[in-house]
Amino acid sequence: MLQVEETLFNAPIPGESLVAELGARPWQSPAKITTVDEAVDYYMERMSSEKFMEQVVEVMESGVPVAVIANTIQLASVMDGVHSVDVGMLVVPIIMEMMMLLGDSAGIEYNLGDEEFDESISESKIAKAVSTYRKKMQEDDVVVPTKVEEKEEEPEEVKITGLMARRK
Amino acid sequence: MSRQYNPAIDAYKNMDIENLPDKTEPAETTGLLAKRTNIQSKGLDMNNPAVRVGMQMKVLRKQREEIKNATS
Repeated sequence: MLQVEETLFNAPIPGESLVAELGARPWQSPAKITTVDEAVDYYMERMSSEKFMEQVVEVMESGVPVAVIANTIQLASVMDGVHSVDVGMLVVPIIMEMMMLLGDSAGIEYNLGDEEFDESISESKIAKAVSTYRKKMQEDDVVVPTKVEEKEEEPEEVKITGLMARRK
Repeated sequence: MSRQYNPAIDAYKNMDIENLPDKTEPAETTGLLAKRTNIQSKGLDMNNPAVRVGMQMKVLRKQREEIKNATS
């Protein structure tokens, strides 16, 4: 078997990622965009592209909340050093509104992401999932393995005849 | 979908664009060096970035409603 030799002492030191040189990360240098108006123009230009529209509509249709996508987009820009966190938070409502506009014009159903998280799963949802699973299994002709009861062999009793043997 | 706190929801919900302060006029100043008020932005503090964001949102919301009304 091929084994790759690794030098033992060439691993990163714990916490090494936290001691990068100041300014080495994009978010540590001054932001490229400093005003909300510039940020709005930046996002409008990006969101107007055909490719972005298709992708965002697809993601929204799959059930990912609009708020989650919008927050991810603005956080990615913060990490790239495009704008600061506070400008990002101010722009988020516009990103969300724009995304909803795209969703409406595409005629899809989407969720904003403001509904309460429901921990319980309704019985109908479970039944639907089970029926879909069964249907798929039948289509694929997969034989579902059934449980085989295995009988454990009982160990034969050994007669102990010594003086210290346990009495039954 | 996720139980993690998402600040985007609060940011969106706190943008009360239906009630933008379009009626509150700034205090009048009569001095020679007084700032001239723009006719379009009368009553709105356009220096506040949140207000400018609200104005942009209003435009997008209007378009959304037009689309919704057209389809329904």
